[in-house]
Amino acid sequence: MPSRTFRHRLYLFFLVAPAFLVLFGVVIYPFLYNIVISLSNMNLRHIRDWRIVGFDQYVKVFTEPSQPDFYMVFLKTVIWTVVNLLFHVVFGVFLALVLNQKEIRGKALFRAILVLPWAVPQLIVALTWRGMFNYEYGAINLMLTQWLGLPAVEWLKQPLEAFIAVIITNVWLGFPFMMVIALGALQSIPHDLYEAAAIDGASWYHRLRHITIPLIRPVMVPAITLGTIWTFNNLNIVWLVSNAGEPSDQTHLMVSFVYKAAFNFYRYGYGAALSMVIFFVLLAFSLVFMRSSRVTENVYS
Amino acid sequence: MNALRLHKSFRVLSLFVLLILALTLILLGGCRRGRDERIRITIWHQDRIDVRVILQRQLARFMQIHPEVQAEELFKETEELRSGFIIAALAGQGPEIVYGPSDQVGPFELMNIILPLETIFDSTWQSQYDPRALTWYKGHLYQVADKLGNHLTLVYNKKLVPDPPTNERELIEIGKSVTADLNGDGRIDRYGLTWNYTEPFFFIPFMTGFGGWIMDAEGRPTLDSRGTIDGLKFIKELRDVYKIIPNEADYNIADILFKDGNAGMIVNGDWSWAGYQKAGLDIGVAPLPEITSTGLWCGTMVSPKGFSLNVNVSDEKKKWAVELIRFLMMPENQLESTRELYTMPTHNDVRRSDFVRNNEILRNSQIAIDHGRPMPVVPELRAIWDAMRPSYQAVLAGTKTAEQAARDMQALALRRINEMNE
Repeated sequence: MPSRTFRHRLYLFFLVAPAFLVLFGVVIYPFLYNIVISLSNMNLRHIRDWRIVGFDQYVKVFTEPSQPDFYMVFLKTVIWTVVNLLFHVVFGVFLALVLNQKEIRGKALFRAILVLPWAVPQLIVALTWRGMFNYEYGAINLMLTQWLGLPAVEWLKQPLEAFIAVIITNVWLGFPFMMVIALGALQSIPHDLYEAAAIDGASWYHRLRHITIPLIRPVMVPAITLGTIWTFNNLNIVWLVSNAGEPSDQTHLMVSFVYKAAFNFYRYGYGAALSMVIFFVLLAFSLVFMRSSRVTENVYS
Repeated sequence: MNALRLHKSFRVLSLFVLLILALTLILLGGCRRGRDERIRITIWHQDRIDVRVILQRQLARFMQIHPEVQAEELFKETEELRSGFIIAALAGQGPEIVYGPSDQVGPFELMNIILPLETIFDSTWQSQYDPRALTWYKGHLYQVADKLGNHLTLVYNKKLVPDPPTNERELIEIGKSVTADLNGDGRIDRYGLTWNYTEPFFFIPFMTGFGGWIMDAEGRPTLDSRGTIDGLKFIKELRDVYKIIPNEADYNIADILFKDGNAGMIVNGDWSWAGYQKAGLDIGVAPLPEITSTGLWCGTMVSPKGFSLNVNVSDEKKKWAVELIRFLMMPENQLESTRELYTMPTHNDVRRSDFVRNNEILRNSQIAIDHGRPMPVVPELRAIWDAMRPSYQAVLAGTKTAEQAARDMQALALRRINEMNE
C-alpha cells in the first residue's frame, strides 16, 4: 500500500502532468531547440548535416553588414514599439474614461464601434489601409488634397512616410485592446472613493491622479507589458501594409528581419540567433518594467 | 477524515484519467480504421480558387475510377507552401505530392526532400510532353508540369486599345492616346498602361528587352548590366516623361484600374485573363512589345507549374501518388483547364488541338512564351529577387540613379548568395 505522501504527490502529478506536457511540447521544447539551432550552422546547404558552431551566429547578428542594417532595424523597432504603445495607452485610457462616465448614453453601441478595429481580421485591416495610403486613389490623400488643400503624400514610396503609415495602421488597430482593459479596471474601482474625494474637494485632475491611475495601474502594467511584446513582435501589419518592407527594405522590424533570414534565405541558425536576441531584449524590458512599476504590490496596502 | 477524502479523490481522479485515455484510444482507433479503408493522397498547392475548383473536379473523377483512394488538395500561400513543405518533409512528414512553379525545385533538391522522377516516368511517357514541362536539375527529373507559363503578357481592353502595340514606340503612342483627364479636374482619370511595377518579377521583360538577364549559366548574378540600366530608365520615363502609367501601382491597384476601365493596357500573367473576362471586359492578349533600339522582344520569365513527389512517401502510397499525377497530366484534364482558364497545356496532343491552335489568346500566349526565357531553378534566384527589389524601388522613388541601382543590385545579390551558401 503506497504511503499517503506518495499518493498525495501522485495526485498532484496527475493534476499537473497534462498542463506540463502541453507546455513542454509547445513552449519548452521549441525554445530549447531554438537555442540549439542558434548555436549551429543550419542553413540551406547544411539542413541535414548541421553542427554546433558556438556563438558564430550571434557574432554575425551584431557584426555582419546587413541590408537593411541590423542596428537601424533595432532602432526602428524600438521607435515603432514606443510610439504605438504610447498612442494605444493614451487613446485607450482616454476612451475608457469617457465611456465610464455615467452621463454617456448608448455605451454598448459606442463600445461595439470602438472595438471594431480589434474585431476585424488583421489581414483585412492591413490591406484596406494599404489601399487607403495609395498616392493617387487612396482615401487619405484624397482627404488631404480635396478637403484640406494639402499636397498629396507619397505614403508608400518614401521610407519615413511608409514607416508613419504602418504606425498609423497599428495605432488604429491596437487602441481597442487597451480601452477594453482600462474600462474593466475602471469599473472595478469602488465609487465611494470618488465620492469621498469629492467631499474633500478634490478636483477632476486630483481624482484621476490619486485614485484612478493608481487603481488601474495593476491591470494596465501587465497589459502594457503584453502590448509591448505583441507590438515588438508584430509581423502582420508591417509585412502587409508595406508589402514586405517596401520601399527598399526600409520598413523592416526585428521580427520581419528574422522572417526574411529564416524563411526567404533559409539561414535557420542566423534566424534562430536573431530571435534569441529579440527574446532577451523583451525579457530584459519586461523584468525592468515590472520591477520599476511595482505592479506586484498590493495597491490597497 | 482528510486522508479518506484524499484517497477517494485519488481513486475518482485515476478512474477519470483512465476513462479519458480509454475513450481517446477508442476514438483514435475508430479514426484509424476509418482512414485505413482508403489510401489517402494529399496534394499541397498554391493555386487560386478558379484553378482549385477544376482540380477538385479532377480529383473527384480520379476517386470515382479508384474508390480505394482518397485524393485531397490543400491550398497554401506560396511562401507557406514552401516553408511548410520544407519543415514537414524534413520531419519525415508532409503531403505525398507538392505542386507549384519550378523554382522550388532548387531548394527542395538541395535539402533532399523531393524524389527524382526519371525512373518513375519513363522516356516514352516523357516524350508526350513539351520538354519545358520536365524540370531537370543536376541530372535528375524532379518535376513534371501540367501547365507552362506563369508568364507575363500585355493584356489590353479592346474598347480602349483596338490594336496592341508591337514595339515600345507604339506602346508610348497608344498609351498617350488613352491617358486622359476625363472630368477636367487636372487629375488623370485613365492611364494608358499599368502594372505592378514595384515588383522585380514584372521588371524582367523590360530588362530582357534591353538585352539584360539576371544570371549567367553558372548561376552568377549579372544585374550590373546595360539591360538593367536601360530597363529601369525606360520604366521611369513611362511614368515621369510620358506619364502613361500611374505614379504608384501595386498588383491590386493595377488590377482594379484595368478592371474598372481606368487603364487601357496592363502587364499581367496568364493567371489573370479568365478573371478579366469574367469581369465583363473584352480583352486581347499580346506578347510584350519589341524594343526597337535592341531589336529584342520584352521577354518574360517562363515557368512550368507541376508535381513533385515527397521523399518520405511510402511505397504503398507512392504507387497511387504516381497514378494520380499521371491522371492529372492526361490530355483531357489539361484541356479542361485550358478551356476554362487559358492555361498553356504541356501535353503535345493538347497543344496541337483545334482549341489551342485557333484560340486567339492562346496563340498570343504561345508567342509570349516563345519570346521568354525559362525561370532558373537554382536556389540563388531568391537572393537575386531580394537584391533587385530595394534598388529598383529606390529608382522609382527617385533616390537612386539607374546606374547606381544596377551596381547595388549586383553587390547585394553576391552578398546574399554568399550568406545563403556559407
